Amino acid sequence: MINLFAVVDAQSRESFEKLTLHRTPSALPFAGKFRLIDFTLSNLLNSGVTTVALFPSGNYRSLQDHVGSGKRWNLDRRRDGLFVLPPKNLVMPQGEMLTFQRMHEHIEYFKRSTQKYVLLTTAQIVWNIDFEAALQEHIDSQADISEIMSETRRLRTFITQKELLLRYIRDYDVIPYKTMNDLVWREPKLKVNTIVHQAYTKLIRNPSAFLRANLDMLKFEIGQTIFKPDRPIISKEKTAPPARYLKNARLSNVMVAAGAQLSGDISDSVIGRDVTIKEHAVVRRSVLMNNAFVEAGAQLDHVILDKNTVVKQDAVLQGTLQSPYVTEKNQIITDQSGLSILLVAAEAYPYAKTGGLADVVDGLSKALSKQGVETSVILPLYKQVKEKHAETFGYLDTLTFTFAGETRKIRLYNILREKVRFYFIEHFGFFERDALYGYEDDCTRFAFFNFAVREVLGSIGPFDLLHLHDWHTGLLPALLEGEEHPPTLLTIHNIDYQGICTPDTLAEAYAQDPGKPVVNFLEEGIQNATKLSTVSETYRDELRYEYYGKNLTQPLLKRERDFHGVLNGLSKQHSPSNDPLILAPYHPGDLSPKTENKLYLQRLMRLPLGVDRFIVGMVSRITEQKGFPILIDAMSDFLERHDDAQFVLLGTGEQEHIDALKGLKESHPRQVRLNIGYDSAQPNHIYAGSDCYLMPSRVEPCGLSQMIAMRYGTLPLVRLTGGLADSVEDYDPITKEGTGFTFFNYDSADLLARLEDAYRVFKERREDWERMQRRAMRRDFSLEKQAQKMLEIYQSMV
Amino acid sequence: MKPSIVAMLLVGGRGTRLQPITRRMAKPAVPFAGKYKLVDFVLSNLTNSGIDTVGILTQYEPHSLMDYIGHGASWDLDLVRGGVHFLTPYTSFEGEKWQKGTAHAIRQHLRFIDRYDPEWVLILSGDHVYKMDYRKLLAHHQKSGADYTIAGFYPDADLSRFGVIEMDASNRLQGFEEKPEDPKGSLASMGVYLFNREALKRALSEDLEEGFDFGKDIIPKTLSEGYEINVYPYEGYFRDVGTIDSLYQANMEVLDHPGLLKLNDYRKRPVHTKSSNQPPHHIMCEDSVHDSLISDGCLIRGSVIHSILSEGVFIKDDALVRNSVLHPDVTIGEDATVENAIVLEGTMVMPGMSIRFDRPEAVDNERLWALGGDDDD
Repeated sequence: MINLFAVVDAQSRESFEKLTLHRTPSALPFAGKFRLIDFTLSNLLNSGVTTVALFPSGNYRSLQDHVGSGKRWNLDRRRDGLFVLPPKNLVMPQGEMLTFQRMHEHIEYFKRSTQKYVLLTTAQIVWNIDFEAALQEHIDSQADISEIMSETRRLRTFITQKELLLRYIRDYDVIPYKTMNDLVWREPKLKVNTIVHQAYTKLIRNPSAFLRANLDMLKFEIGQTIFKPDRPIISKEKTAPPARYLKNARLSNVMVAAGAQLSGDISDSVIGRDVTIKEHAVVRRSVLMNNAFVEAGAQLDHVILDKNTVVKQDAVLQGTLQSPYVTEKNQIITDQSGLSILLVAAEAYPYAKTGGLADVVDGLSKALSKQGVETSVILPLYKQVKEKHAETFGYLDTLTFTFAGETRKIRLYNILREKVRFYFIEHFGFFERDALYGYEDDCTRFAFFNFAVREVLGSIGPFDLLHLHDWHTGLLPALLEGEEHPPTLLTIHNIDYQGICTPDTLAEAYAQDPGKPVVNFLEEGIQNATKLSTVSETYRDELRYEYYGKNLTQPLLKRERDFHGVLNGLSKQHSPSNDPLILAPYHPGDLSPKTENKLYLQRLMRLPLGVDRFIVGMVSRITEQKGFPILIDAMSDFLERHDDAQFVLLGTGEQEHIDALKGLKESHPRQVRLNIGYDSAQPNHIYAGSDCYLMPSRVEPCGLSQMIAMRYGTLPLVRLTGGLADSVEDYDPITKEGTGFTFFNYDSADLLARLEDAYRVFKERREDWERMQRRAMRRDFSLEKQAQKMLEIYQSMV
Repeated sequence: MKPSIVAMLLVGGRGTRLQPITRRMAKPAVPFAGKYKLVDFVLSNLTNSGIDTVGILTQYEPHSLMDYIGHGASWDLDLVRGGVHFLTPYTSFEGEKWQKGTAHAIRQHLRFIDRYDPEWVLILSGDHVYKMDYRKLLAHHQKSGADYTIAGFYPDADLSRFGVIEMDASNRLQGFEEKPEDPKGSLASMGVYLFNREALKRALSEDLEEGFDFGKDIIPKTLSEGYEINVYPYEGYFRDVGTIDSLYQANMEVLDHPGLLKLNDYRKRPVHTKSSNQPPHHIMCEDSVHDSLISDGCLIRGSVIHSILSEGVFIKDDALVRNSVLHPDVTIGEDATVENAIVLEGTMVMPGMSIRFDRPEAVDNERLWALGGDDDD
């Protein structure tokens, strides 16, 4: 028997969109009849391992159901066997890897295991490996830790001595290392060996990798190395009969599990158990999980259908390898051609803009209409819009209705702009003012906007769905309830803006509509909208905690199953290859002109010139949320230590932090440049000219500047929160991969340590740095991707 | 809890008319409809009917079957009390206890039945294809007040192959004839009997000669002795697959008429089978599989038309399989053709070989050697 016990990390959440709403990633169905965890458990079985601990978290019902007592993998035993060790501390956020602290919760398991060596691995790898041979290699190397890798890819898999591991587990609260990864990178005392597993191996971390790995199984030479008769991959026993092919089935390169009943035209796809595909359906490069049903004439390309999904007749689902179309378990998808959507918002570029919302509505509406969705936007007709654009608008209608006890008259205008129809509601008293917001009666004004939208729906509709944005539209779902109205999706861009009103104001608004006394617009919306979304998956998860969700944590938790996270997209206009504002355009193929932009920025800012100097740039509102409290100390120490580091900032904001920044400049006059007020410099010069872009935000629902920075090859250094966590990939010193640098604790010491890391990589590992720059510039944060993900949500609602 | 009913499952059949399929396995171990073995049906019926105490009487080629059934876990029959028990021939104080005839086999193991002290004993064969709820049989039996009940089915044709049941208007057995030339009823015995335990002991305890069967001996004897014998007419799908022809036909019925056995509708009435841990099958070439049932682990590079493939079959490039039933781990070489055949487990059809039959026939490697010789002439 092998002198090794195993620790299997089955808790990571990662970014699997809807696929992990109902399960942990390790329980994802794979290759028709397996789940991801089968590969790890079967490898352990085939290597003779008899003691295995699973560390799950979150919703691990399906995982628990699947592994059961572990009998299928010989783990249902008197001695040793399978241990499922759930988290004791439920508040502790799950990082990418199992922490020593998490292991400490079950230190008894480690103490009691009788084997001398321990294997730490994850349940998300598709591979077929002999751990016995790996253990022998580890013993022969006489190393403290062996890391198992696939070529240059890391797999979160290590072999070490139990006693050594136990030391770190016991001391988890006094050592600076949290995970095995930290140990391997930072602990100089340890001798680390690398074991390279030569055969096919994939760590599955997102829907794209999931689709690719499934399709890889269709390549015979790869499938053979995974499904070996002498080292079988074992799964839970199921009852389905053999797959049935009907007379007119057309198939080419498909893998099909039992119980499937197939007709139609299917190629390069993996078909799960009990899937039905009807005649004239076309399925290409897709993964269909158990019991999916594809009706006649439907077309699927690069799609992942979760279990029990029904695709109705003639529906067309289109994804890409980069961004597969993903459905939710039990979803019904209808033919969406001619889908018609109304976006309701308080602002939209180019008509009315105060912040990021206007850009999001603009980008999303264009991208949706490009995908064939009939897209309309409705806005209040503000004074500035009227003055600038009203001549081009077409008059539609005049309506009167009663609001707050008085009869009100509104006029409705519209214009078609780049295939998106814009509607404007004109009302002199409420909307024709100098600014968009900031009035005492804002609540009444936007309550009126909600009522007015309801009134005009009859003359501009019908719509299949209303997509509402932020608190300004929060009353609409309740107003539309109980009538023949389309479903509503409410997107929360920032939980801080809620539209909280005194009951008095609202009582006035509701005088003729005696409803409940509303206090909070956003809360109303959260409670009544058909579905909810926010601007990143991580922010969605964060809102479950009061630290982020604040007063709305409870209402949001109640809506958890209807709450999605979709990262905002970035317009193609942000590009260093055709940016007229920067000195020298460049692209991922040739980064050298970026240096000219850097020297130009230094000249512009009157900073000492030098391409080897390290410029940290920032374009930001200067507020507490953006992390300025931890930034000042960290930056001060950092600049102190490195004469050739420079800090350039552009922004406006709160005086307290501006004063602190001025203090920083006084103590480092040759290194710091502040541009307070948005007019003083072009943000693009900073994006193009800096080396590193800083975003130590405490809260960041989505964030766009880190994406812009990446597109300009300026590596972001960010705190792992909200959209930052979903868009920046941390530098890995061993694989040299990543698109920036990340840290988790909101703490200046951690920020400083990461700045030091970035500085060292810039100075000492320039090749790694440039590799990351190219990788960052090629990341896909397109509007198309955002629109496709939105469309997936729309299609689950109509 | 003491079981009220114990099932005795006869799996010792030689299946002489199924040669060469049964040369190295008992008839209940014969593969069926791609991923099943015949015995799966009766074991699944038992567990679906809530009967969890089963004696399995083996004799002929028992080992593959014993390996296959194991602890019965695949049918949820691995229980602390009850579950599956293999009842093999044994040597006792009185001498060697070989099973000679179906009823004789049961008598050898009356002690096993006594151990559970049941009210009823259900006697079954392991080589029939059907989905039946034995609870309905029990209800019918209890209502009848009879000593035992015979289950009968309505054959599509040729009653003279079966034991034919004659009954009166109140379902009392009036006559029984094995393979009659001139059948007097339309109902045939399924070989399924539900006995009151005491009645069974009485019927078997007489000083009978060795080698007695239920059909041939016990039914006529008890009928003449005035036992109350009830008949349960089973209306569902039932196939006795005793010959190559009927085995082939029953397989093709699963393919052509999925509504008969309803194998896909397994949430209510699953037919469980033991999994072999193979990956899903892989169809590698274009537009080549039509109107067929394919099991896990198959690799298909040729054409498969109107056929049934068991697990682990490998169809190589440009091979053609038509109107055939392929048992596990068969390999069909490049350019080979197989038509109207049942190809037995592990058979390797050489590249370019052509096997076509007018009537379905079973082939294995030995048969292929002989056929290959013919080709040379």
